[in-house]
Amino acid sequence: MEGVKEYGAYEVFVQRTHQDAHVHVGSLLASDVSMAILLARENFLRRDEAVSLWVVPRTAVASVGGEDVDFFAREFDRSYREVSGYADNALRWKEFKSRALSLDEVIEDVRKP
Amino acid sequence: MMDLKSNRTGVRGAHGQSADVDSQVETKEAEQMEAFMRRIEAGDKIESTDWMPLEYRLLLLRLIHMHGISEIMGAYPEKEWVPKAPTLARKLSLLAKVQDEVGHGQLLLRVAEDLAEPIGGNRDSLMTDVFTGKVKFHNVFHMDAPTWADAGIIGWLVDGAAIITQTALLDGSYAPYTRVLRRVCAEESFHMQHGESIILTLAEGTKTQRQMLQDALNRWWPSLLFFFGPKEISSPVEKMMKYKIRQRTNEELRQKFLNRYVPRIHAVGLTIPDSSLHRDADGLWHYQEPDWEYFSMMVRENVGPKSAERIHLRQAAHEGQAWARQVAL
Repeated sequence: MEGVKEYGAYEVFVQRTHQDAHVHVGSLLASDVSMAILLARENFLRRDEAVSLWVVPRTAVASVGGEDVDFFAREFDRSYREVSGYADNALRWKEFKSRALSLDEVIEDVRKP
Repeated sequence: MMDLKSNRTGVRGAHGQSADVDSQVETKEAEQMEAFMRRIEAGDKIESTDWMPLEYRLLLLRLIHMHGISEIMGAYPEKEWVPKAPTLARKLSLLAKVQDEVGHGQLLLRVAEDLAEPIGGNRDSLMTDVFTGKVKFHNVFHMDAPTWADAGIIGWLVDGAAIITQTALLDGSYAPYTRVLRRVCAEESFHMQHGESIILTLAEGTKTQRQMLQDALNRWWPSLLFFFGPKEISSPVEKMMKYKIRQRTNEELRQKFLNRYVPRIHAVGLTIPDSSLHRDADGLWHYQEPDWEYFSMMVRENVGPKSAERIHLRQAAHEGQAWARQVAL
């Protein structure tokens, strides 16, 4: 393509509902942000519903990943941070003739009028 | 890069020294290759920014480039039916389908661009390669679609075949391609339903409509079998399997297609134009082979019934819209 300016890659993020985070759905080639927004709607929202759309020039994205697996390495057992790390509670509650509580139960209960 | 070159040509010193550097470079490449293959074998997914051997890049580029261009060329036989579709509802769904195919082309070309960039390719070269015959597209899109029943058969069986080949790539090692394939396959499932809706209407219809459907099936059957590619495992397919880009052979996929579709074709009262077609005791389908040379030449030389016309339309559109792409900059 002649001229100094060129089409560039834009990363596209879609938010499906206000309670969802924006999710990366792909990328596209555009001359500027307004074209990127237009093409993003055509490419990614022909069916999917959304409440918000972000387009970001790829050059603006800083990232770590791919072959750099060390960055994401779990150096030691982190189960103490997880619900699953306390799975033995269920058995222990049983001894007391009761049972462990889950977050889902609490949410459901609080939502009930 | 410059350093590497001058070392290799031995500009900087005696032969011994340059050979040292040479072997160092080779050792590094061998190590990278080994690490890469370890990742592939461990089931790792590769991203566009990861190191990859040139062979892997070229195999993917060839595959995804052809896939993307085939999506775009696939819109042509269908768009011919948009103005002639029998009802407004059919017109709307066909338009949606044409738009999906072009959309898939754009998503796939984006993936191809990222692969092509380090070796000097871009959107423009990927698009124009089809005019010069540098990139091929699937045999089915070189064929004529003379009746409305052809539009139905394309949606039902051509898209059905395409879904089989595409779902076989969903677990491939190149992550950006698999992400796009997920979206493509989801939309193809609408195309499949759309095609089934058309052929069901014709199958439920008059004798003339059923005959039209049968004629269309007769026209498309050999092309559909060819679509999956030759029986023998070619060297690119073998390499793609080594790199886990794909994990099934052409014949395995053709068998899956026959398994799925032969009973359904019979169920709607159609006859498959192959009296030798049967399933043996091991569940393997035997069929009259398509004219491999006829279809290979069609794809290779762009000499199918509609190849030249559609490539011309594509070129006219690309060149006719060049001013708009320029103005947008």
